[in-house]
Amino acid sequence: MNVCIAGAAGDGIRGAGVILGKIFGEFGYSVFVYQEYQSRIRGGHNASVVRASEKEINSHGYYYDALICLRDYVFEKHAERLRGVLICDSSFGLEHEAKVEFPINETVERLNLPDISKNIAAISVFCKSFGIEAEVVKSVVRESLGKSAEEQNIEVVRAVYENLDISVGQIRRVGEGKELVSGAEAIAEGMLDAGLKFYYAYPMTPATPILHVLAADSRCVALQPESEIAAIMMAIGSAFGGERAAVGTSGGGFALMSESISLAGMAEIPVLIILAQRSGPSTGMATFTAQQDLYFALNPAHGEFPLIVASPLTIEDSYRLSGELLNLAWEFQTPAVLLMEKHITESHTTAKLGGVVKREVEIFRERSREVFRRYEITESGVSPYASPPALVKANSNEHDEYGFTTDDAEIAAEMYAKRMRKGEEIAKAVANLEPYVEMRNGKDWIVTWGSNFGAVKEVAEELGYSVAAVRFMRPLFLPKISGEVFCVECNYSGLLSKFLEAEGVKLKRILRWDGRPFTPEEIRREVERWTE
Amino acid sequence: MDRISWCPGCGNFAILRAFEKASQRVMEEGYDIAVSSGIGCHGKISDYLNLPSFHVTHGRVPPFLTGLKLANPKLIVVGFSGDGDGLNEGAEHLVHAARRNTDITIILHNNGVFGLTTGQVTATSPKGRKSKSTPYGNPEYPINACQLMLASGATFVARVFAREQKKMAEVFYRAMKHRGFSFVEVLQPCVSFNNFWDLRKEVFWVEKAESVYEAMRMCEDIRACGVFYAEEKETYEDAVWKSTF
Repeated sequence: MNVCIAGAAGDGIRGAGVILGKIFGEFGYSVFVYQEYQSRIRGGHNASVVRASEKEINSHGYYYDALICLRDYVFEKHAERLRGVLICDSSFGLEHEAKVEFPINETVERLNLPDISKNIAAISVFCKSFGIEAEVVKSVVRESLGKSAEEQNIEVVRAVYENLDISVGQIRRVGEGKELVSGAEAIAEGMLDAGLKFYYAYPMTPATPILHVLAADSRCVALQPESEIAAIMMAIGSAFGGERAAVGTSGGGFALMSESISLAGMAEIPVLIILAQRSGPSTGMATFTAQQDLYFALNPAHGEFPLIVASPLTIEDSYRLSGELLNLAWEFQTPAVLLMEKHITESHTTAKLGGVVKREVEIFRERSREVFRRYEITESGVSPYASPPALVKANSNEHDEYGFTTDDAEIAAEMYAKRMRKGEEIAKAVANLEPYVEMRNGKDWIVTWGSNFGAVKEVAEELGYSVAAVRFMRPLFLPKISGEVFCVECNYSGLLSKFLEAEGVKLKRILRWDGRPFTPEEIRREVERWTE
Repeated sequence: MDRISWCPGCGNFAILRAFEKASQRVMEEGYDIAVSSGIGCHGKISDYLNLPSFHVTHGRVPPFLTGLKLANPKLIVVGFSGDGDGLNEGAEHLVHAARRNTDITIILHNNGVFGLTTGQVTATSPKGRKSKSTPYGNPEYPINACQLMLASGATFVARVFAREQKKMAEVFYRAMKHRGFSFVEVLQPCVSFNNFWDLRKEVFWVEKAESVYEAMRMCEDIRACGVFYAEEKETYEDAVWKSTF
């Protein structure tokens, strides 16, 4: 079932989507919630698409089984996708054959409640029409809204349930209740489980929700400094102090971090950078998704140094990879980039997070007379780590084994090679971490990366294609594929496609760069168009 | 350790010696110190001090130290910066670190010139100054570092002349012991591109002001030295710990 809730900014569309997602989760469904909103606080057009299925899903659908309109003018925009029931206020006078109307606005006004309660009223209309008990709605509303909003919203639910007597379907329990988590929560949880102590971020959509989640969590300190440059420099400071730190931003902020990423590479300081992609270039479409920054993430800064880049396929995968990358960054003392998309950080899904553990690394912290041999030349390239008060010297300049500045050709060459050797060790480690996911259904393939995976997997299973989805981008392991190959990406030129072509793979691109994520229906249409 | 590579007669030698003296005194009291420096001649001081250090990038000392201090609140952290490093590229960081009253000390080596890149003007160079990048004279007005820091909310603001090593060591000591954001501007002659050792005849010492406004007036004259202002205020770190846990 695929339900869209549409209205204006300020109508609580996002919250309504989350609440409806939780209700479906409560009934044991696998749920995915996609949030489409504009960069404005009031007015305009926002939508929340909630999809629930008995099968495990990681995408929303194109066509709606139900459309809940909180404003009359949003109907037009969605009418083409509606294949089921329209739910709206009785006064809207919208034309549609299957319709459930209720005096939503009047009820909210009569109860003397704020306008935002209309979203709860509308959800109640949906739930009542589909046979969901009032108690389930009330308990999810109670759990989701703060104490202050609780009573009045419960009143709205009651008013709708008492005055609406219609049934257009029956949603049944299909299993144990499942918890709904957002992409931002999954990322935060993964980092915390891997020992995150400090998170620094300047607000930038679509990475901001991660800051919000961590700021409210007492397991770490989350701060908002003056700029993205300050954020990553603070993270480097904390990591030099021996504590795990991360930063999060989008393309523009990532650009500002460039210089400091190079510093972390040179000084061998572990730092995790979350790059949550949105539609660019420049300010682009701030609240819309994209996969345009792959090459930027792979080559973020000047000079050569080992870098780890990975891009999760689902919200649950974001939990695993954010934790994994923080661990890897510390094991190999180098920056790591978690390449995210708006379509993951700001979406919700039913998932059970768990399994990430902090892998300890040794840190020397004793006072000493001798300068610590922080950059000892080793076979693996990894040297012992130390933090003050140990007499440890770190340096943005090329340096000797003790961290003192040097321009000696021999020492410089050795130190540079030592750092680069870590790249080979990282590749060995990543080879065991499922650098790409493969699912065999047939001789032909659909290849993808990032959040498209959910939609791609469904289409491939239906049409009998094998799936390959790349997770680690650096070091990059490409799947060995043959036959007819499609590559699905949210960018203009096919950034992953080019890597595959360089390996001699002939492929057909399925691309979009309009800021919208793929649904299974759209991918199927494209595949069929190519094969006609 | 490499031989010191500053020019003979450079004001940085005096800063190094004075800081060694002051840091020794602080450590004898049982404290641990870690330092950081930016890019420019001053930046080399990280290599020359027998202390934990991180020679970071241009202008980025304040946020680096903020992160370090948060990770290890027991450390006394000191940053060295230059007029180019702290007031051109890194001015934003300096202003915000002062505003937050982060418990760090910044020592700003102000030689009025980009020394290591052979003498271009900085944010503290006088209007009209001719240099390789301003062959017809500097078109910009200079900034007064101490006034900027006072306006930003620094809770310890001082200026010293590199010639006065003893006084400088005393001010460094007080700055490190001050809880909150401490800022010390050192007038540091650059023998190669901006030699003002002669200033010794003109510098004068003033007593601490009672208010920020008085301090602002006091430090307007660049030859005025002393601790202009000091006050106790909740530090950033204390506020963060209080609100997080």
